[in-house]
Amino acid sequence: MTALLDSIGYAGWALHALVWLPVLGVGLVLWSAEAQAKTMAFWWSVGVFVLSLGLWWAFDPAEGGMQMQSTAPWIPAWGVNYSLGVDGISLFMVMLTTFSTSIAILGSFNYIKTRERSFYALMLLLEAAVVGVFVATDLFLFYVFFELTLVPMYFIVGIWGGERRIYAAIKFFLYTAFGSLLMLVGILYLFWKAKTMLGVATFAYADLLQVPLTGTEQLWLFTAFALAFSVKVPVFPLHTWLPDAHVEAPTPGSVILAAVLLKMGTYGFLRFLLPLFPIAAQHPTVVTTMLVLGVIGILYTAWVAAVQPDAKKLVAYTSVAHMGFVVLGVFALTVNGIQGGLVVMISHGISTGALFLLLGMLYERRHTRTIADFGGIARVAPWFATAFVITALASIGLPGTSGFVGEFLALMGTFETHPTIAMVATLGVIFAAYYMLPMVQTVFFNKLDKTENREMADLTSREIVILAPLVALMIVIGWHPTPVLERMEPSVRVVLERVEAAREANATTTDGAAPALAYDDAPEGGSDSAPEVSSDPPTADPSVGSLVPSDGQ
Amino acid sequence: MELDFSRQLHFFWALVPEMILCAWGMVVLLAGVSRSQKEQDDTAPRDPSFGGGADMGWLALVGVLVAAVANGWMYGLEEIGRDGMIAVDGFRLFANWIFLLAAALTILVSFAYVYRQRLQAGEFYGLILFSTAGMMFMAGARDLIVVFLGLEVMSIAVYALTAFNRRDRRSAEAGLKYFLLGAFATGFFLYGITLLYGATGSTNIAEIARSVSSGQAPPTLLTLGIAFLTIGFGFKVSAVPFHMWTPDVYEGAPAPVTAFMSAAVKAAAFVAFLRVFMVGLDAAYDTWYPLMWWLAAITMVAANMIALVQSNVKRMLAYSSIAHAGYLLVAVTAANETAAAGMLFYLLVYTVMNIGAFAIVIGVAHQAEERLQVEDYAGFGWAQPTIGVLLTIFLLSLAGFPGTGGFMGKIYLLQGAADAQLWFLSVILVLTTIASYWYYLRVAWFMWMKRQMTEDQHDSVIVPLPMRVALVTAVVIVIYTGFFPSAALDFARASVEGFGAMSGSMLGLGQ
Amino acid sequence: MTASLTALVQGGGQAAAEAGHFEPFLPGLVVLLPLLGFVINGVLALQHARASADAVRGGSELALGDSASRPATHTLPTWVGPGVMLAAFLITLVNFTRMLGAHLEEPVVVHYWTWIATGTFTVDAAIQLDQLSMVMMMVVTGVGFLIHVFSVGYMKEDPGYPRYFAYLNLFVFFMLVLVMGSSYALMFVGWEGVGLCSYLLIGYWFSDREKADAGKKAFIVNRIGDAGFLIAMFLVFSNFGSLDYVPVFHDAEGLAYAGGLVTAITLFFFVGAIGKSAQIPLYVWLPDAMAGPTPVSALIHAATMVTAGVYLVARSSVLFALAPLSSAVVAGIGVFTALFAATIALKQNDIKKVLAYSTVSQLGYMFLGVGVGAYAAGIFHLMTHAFFKALLFMGSGAVIHSMHEAYHATHSHEDPQDMRNMGGLKDAMPITWATMWVATLAIAGIWPFAGFFSKDEIIWQTAAFGGAEGAAYSALYSLYWVIALAAAMLTAFYMTRMMVMTFHGTNRTGEEEKKHLHEAPAVMWVPLAVLAVLSVFGGWVNVPEALRSAWVGGMGILPMSEWLHHWLEPVTLAAHHVQEEHLGELAHSAPFGGGEVLWATISTAAAAVVVLVSLRVVAAQRVVPVAEDETELRGIAKVLYNKYYVDEFYDRVVVQPVVRFSRFCWKVIDAVVIDGVVNAVGWAAKAFGWGVSMFQTGTVNTYAFILTVGVLFILGATLL
Repeated sequence: MTALLDSIGYAGWALHALVWLPVLGVGLVLWSAEAQAKTMAFWWSVGVFVLSLGLWWAFDPAEGGMQMQSTAPWIPAWGVNYSLGVDGISLFMVMLTTFSTSIAILGSFNYIKTRERSFYALMLLLEAAVVGVFVATDLFLFYVFFELTLVPMYFIVGIWGGERRIYAAIKFFLYTAFGSLLMLVGILYLFWKAKTMLGVATFAYADLLQVPLTGTEQLWLFTAFALAFSVKVPVFPLHTWLPDAHVEAPTPGSVILAAVLLKMGTYGFLRFLLPLFPIAAQHPTVVTTMLVLGVIGILYTAWVAAVQPDAKKLVAYTSVAHMGFVVLGVFALTVNGIQGGLVVMISHGISTGALFLLLGMLYERRHTRTIADFGGIARVAPWFATAFVITALASIGLPGTSGFVGEFLALMGTFETHPTIAMVATLGVIFAAYYMLPMVQTVFFNKLDKTENREMADLTSREIVILAPLVALMIVIGWHPTPVLERMEPSVRVVLERVEAAREANATTTDGAAPALAYDDAPEGGSDSAPEVSSDPPTADPSVGSLVPSDGQ
Repeated sequence: MELDFSRQLHFFWALVPEMILCAWGMVVLLAGVSRSQKEQDDTAPRDPSFGGGADMGWLALVGVLVAAVANGWMYGLEEIGRDGMIAVDGFRLFANWIFLLAAALTILVSFAYVYRQRLQAGEFYGLILFSTAGMMFMAGARDLIVVFLGLEVMSIAVYALTAFNRRDRRSAEAGLKYFLLGAFATGFFLYGITLLYGATGSTNIAEIARSVSSGQAPPTLLTLGIAFLTIGFGFKVSAVPFHMWTPDVYEGAPAPVTAFMSAAVKAAAFVAFLRVFMVGLDAAYDTWYPLMWWLAAITMVAANMIALVQSNVKRMLAYSSIAHAGYLLVAVTAANETAAAGMLFYLLVYTVMNIGAFAIVIGVAHQAEERLQVEDYAGFGWAQPTIGVLLTIFLLSLAGFPGTGGFMGKIYLLQGAADAQLWFLSVILVLTTIASYWYYLRVAWFMWMKRQMTEDQHDSVIVPLPMRVALVTAVVIVIYTGFFPSAALDFARASVEGFGAMSGSMLGLGQ
Repeated sequence: MTASLTALVQGGGQAAAEAGHFEPFLPGLVVLLPLLGFVINGVLALQHARASADAVRGGSELALGDSASRPATHTLPTWVGPGVMLAAFLITLVNFTRMLGAHLEEPVVVHYWTWIATGTFTVDAAIQLDQLSMVMMMVVTGVGFLIHVFSVGYMKEDPGYPRYFAYLNLFVFFMLVLVMGSSYALMFVGWEGVGLCSYLLIGYWFSDREKADAGKKAFIVNRIGDAGFLIAMFLVFSNFGSLDYVPVFHDAEGLAYAGGLVTAITLFFFVGAIGKSAQIPLYVWLPDAMAGPTPVSALIHAATMVTAGVYLVARSSVLFALAPLSSAVVAGIGVFTALFAATIALKQNDIKKVLAYSTVSQLGYMFLGVGVGAYAAGIFHLMTHAFFKALLFMGSGAVIHSMHEAYHATHSHEDPQDMRNMGGLKDAMPITWATMWVATLAIAGIWPFAGFFSKDEIIWQTAAFGGAEGAAYSALYSLYWVIALAAAMLTAFYMTRMMVMTFHGTNRTGEEEKKHLHEAPAVMWVPLAVLAVLSVFGGWVNVPEALRSAWVGGMGILPMSEWLHHWLEPVTLAAHHVQEEHLGELAHSAPFGGGEVLWATISTAAAAVVVLVSLRVVAAQRVVPVAEDETELRGIAKVLYNKYYVDEFYDRVVVQPVVRFSRFCWKVIDAVVIDGVVNAVGWAAKAFGWGVSMFQTGTVNTYAFILTVGVLFILGATLL
């Protein structure tokens, strides 16, 4: 396999192809006839997925840094490069994206009845943007892709969504934009810092890693970036856009949203937050805050989910709970924790994606998502019920499914550094059962007492084709996650080493009492340029400046 | 060839484009009056693109092109020293490009309007050329008197244009308002000039710069002069709180004129603004920095917030243009070469996307400026996909979204702010940008996510050939600068090379 | 992965053959066979489900037809289900005999593939074969097989037949993973896996809401315990760097005796055990679990799954031995549960409920055993209990089966499980009656039945352990001892009551129904018979040395003195070392004097007396069928009948508050507070905009005015 890939120089062009083929697909879909649009889009996305499979072999598991890198100048004046690369962290995100896009497209054949061409075009556009986010190794490029994901999603939700679709769409858009725009300022600060400190105008990830930053600067930038990503994840209390977006979005929209868009947030944590601002990232207060928020996310959303009358909203909330485990794992700052977090990201993508697909199928049949409207479905749709139960179990992390591996590692990794928090978080497994099982029971078990449910059809062969690979993956990863883990480990270690280095550096400068401030005495005199209001020269505070006359001489 | 202002002729060379436009304006004017309105109407064919008033349009367009050629030719000129009344530098020429582009686009989008409203094409297009000339004077002015001259030439033409649609009461009213308040502000401007003259003994920007940096200028006079100039410019760029006229005037004025005003007039004011303050008053940066800071902040906040509650698209775009003035004021506040280049780049993109958006508003609007409410756009996108997509792109660009020129422009402005370390201002800029997302996307969601109210709601939309040309040009520039900004970028950078060289202190600011 | 799977089949892997020259024989297949059975039955089940679903959609029910003309979906499982179990049992037997031959000191670990490897944490998919896991395998596969056979008869008429066997096989698979896994991680896989199957099987008749609820309740309550198990694992990993038994137990010996760490680990593990083995306070799910088919109760809720907790403690004997406090807690919870559940059993009328509480009570004994360091005794009771309790459940199953058919024949809707509707069944079903009496005597601890030896050893060990000179809290242990004895008496009583109400006296089923009562078919009674035999002789594998020579030991005629004890020695050795080191010699006399023999005699005699007395007492009671039963219970009887109102209490104190708080989180925190803030920002912005646009009057003088204000502001700002 590897030989074959080398023979076609796969590593050279694969990433570019993965970003631009979907864009080409957009054209083709728009160009094809309304009736053919869906098949066109589906096979195109399958092609992209198959292409992405090559990464598995082309990727060198031993290497922790960026691989298959390629770069070309884009905006020389600003030192912006079009540079792509992939490492153990992004590898699976890319494959997850291509995979779930195909699945989602196939899953929307019956759901999307109007303006199909535009819809599938947007889906492919979204795919391109998301892949771009995961493979961009230039912060400017990353930001562009990061923002570009919003537009297709905005229209997907807003046009093909449910009753309150517009509210949901705009809420989703503004919430996310709020975070990312602050991040933009942060990025420009880094850029400016690089220009002044290193003397080169650059947005390249590798270069910005070299920018020396004081602890205070790091805390500010950390906050800006963390906001952007936390909204995406979403981290409590920035999560309220998600239930609305999920409920209103059409099935494929929810699938992509859950499977990959949320991952952009946690991916950002790992790719940018920790490596770029290690001092802030390992600052006790910061770590504790993030961990606590993660735990709140796990428990709180589990409770909220448990009392949802709308099945889709329930699953939406569980997404927040799952991502809580990721946040936990990431900020545990241990190999186990981060790898666990990554596995949860994958597993959540698969299982929750599947849940949304199943709920979509349910909706197509009964045109309701209210749990109470169902009951005894297992008798008329046994295969459906089976698929759903397996997925639900994977989602609540039953051993033998992908969900368990991730949550187990994440919790264990957290326990290594923060036992108490991990213990509280472990209660999440109880509440997972508490929100999932009643829903499963009321929908699929109990008496088949509603006549309209009696007519419900079981899975069609197309739906089986959709669900089979998902279910298979849940179980395979549950029993044999090692191939995945071994590809992640080196990259995870690279991230951790940076954080560790920062911690040690602090330990040497101070007794770790207030690590963040430790660097301020460090000789690179940028301590005045912390991005506070006061940094506006020449008059420190404009409000003062405007009231006090400061005439020329 | 070298320009040496000791020789009369060289003044002529230095003003070739302006003169061409003025002359051509006369020609169009005469051509217009040479045929009575009656025969214009009679000869008016069903297609607004040709014959009748359209000929005047094409004629004017040719004039713009000739001026453009002249402007290109100017690059061959080399001026000696930097203290002539007229600057012949990249900054001015780049600005000229913006004005000419704006004029051309405005003319192109006006066809439909002039045709529908049966306006006297000759005068209409003529006035556009005159005001354009005025703008170019402002951009080239290196003497406050010339600035004032240009300002008036431009303004008076625009006043007339605003009140041009005699079939529409609002037009006349707007014209009057604009004129009255304009006069008011001009007073301040003129007073500012005199005060500066009193303080520095000269109206020549170079002279002023020298005396200010030498510190001989009495501070109080200087400060007062700066304050009054700020007010004057603040009015022209419609910065809060000097923006009050803007919404009414923009709403009342004929849509093409609004487009022209919100793009070109603003651009002209800004380039003059920047030159006077960054070059002339640079040494007094400390004095006017807080002033600008607050103007920028207040303008961005207020304009965006008010725009949120507008349901009339034209009015919404009016406030959006005020908001953009706020963004540009950030560049003025930063007052460094990055910011200067950023401003030029931004003005270019802004002109294009703004006129593009207005063009579609014109297309949608009926006889006598109806159908301007956002509800009128319900389901528009699906009824008129192409125009719908274009408008969406223009809106996204105005919102400063990646993939559009607007985004690159904003980045450039923010970089300017970064060099001046205006972090707090940058944060205000992006936060207000989020607010702006709401009202821009609001139009988008009406277009794509709502049902149209009646089946034939959008059939009356007419987009004649010239407007198509304008739209295509606009969208191409927006997208191109959005994905490959380098060309425009480097051009802008090159244009401000040594722009502020007269004053060294500014270099110290950024880094 | 595939390679390792083939390895799994060939029992290959790198088995540590040299260790005590024990050559494992296809151990992987023991696990794999039930899985295979699950797959086959599962496919059949899905097929059948599709067919019946179409029928339901057509508005009818899919008729099974008579046993002769059944579709493959209903004939194949008959052979597949029990078949795989038999095969698994035989393979286990082979391994067992081999191990008998080899004097295995160290456990044999067979690796298959690396399950999870993060770089700092590695756990393999591996099987650990040692004396303990071997006993468990024997019980699980052996008893499991018998119950599968019984099920063939019991579930024959059930439409979900293939699904039933699929679940049952899956359960056995997970149960074997639980007992054979070589690490806590794998045990946890089995641990939650069996929980899942229990959930599926309790809610097997999911159309009935109560049954579905019961399944849900079981799963959620179990998960509470599982959380404890997880935390314990985290503690183990963060301190030993591994979850594999061998390294952990090896390093454990270095831990401080009674240290905080080991205490914490063991207590958290015990939380898991409490959940899985239905001890106070988490026992509430087990009685409800009787909603499942009776063979399920026999297999999962009596013989195997619920004893997993005991296995866990025995497996971690080293750790528990090192933590006297935890041991005391284990023993305490155990003995109190024993008494508590026994008292409730006194007043239950549902035959399965009686057995359910009796199970809880017996599990309490097992925990008492492992709590007082008598790990072998605990496992011993686990084994014998598996025999007689499985027998009792299947016997009750036979009764219910017969009662059900009787009522079915007359279309009566009486409760076939309520003993008040039974009575005098011994004429109709003698075999069931006889075998169940054997089991009753066994559980009552009558010499020489199995239960006597196992229970007696536990009780004695309690005394001996508490009496040891180094023992902490000895007074507590004497209390335990007394309670244990008392509970034993109660056991004798409620079991006799059950037997009398069910089989003796006059029949209360009804004249018409009476005719339809019949003995269970061979496929059902043969397993009963086999288990009856085991219930008699099962106890003889471990006759305490002290009793052997005494009459209780039949003057030495009973075979295999303390065989099981010695057999498990390699597993419990480390634990015993710890005990000797820190407790020293165990006591030789009970708290109030008297030796092992004496007290064994007393207890069995007392039990016998209780049985005889209660025979009369209960027979004397006037029992009427449920229909005309108006007896108004009051006082303690009412409390017992209503199980101390514990469920109601939990509902009030735990369930409702959680639900209410959840609603609060959703309706208030999410909708009002957070979204409130979000929307408020939007409104505020608009309000501001609206407010400012108020100045936009449209009249020039306003504008001029504001312009002037601006001017003044600027002048002020610059000049002042």
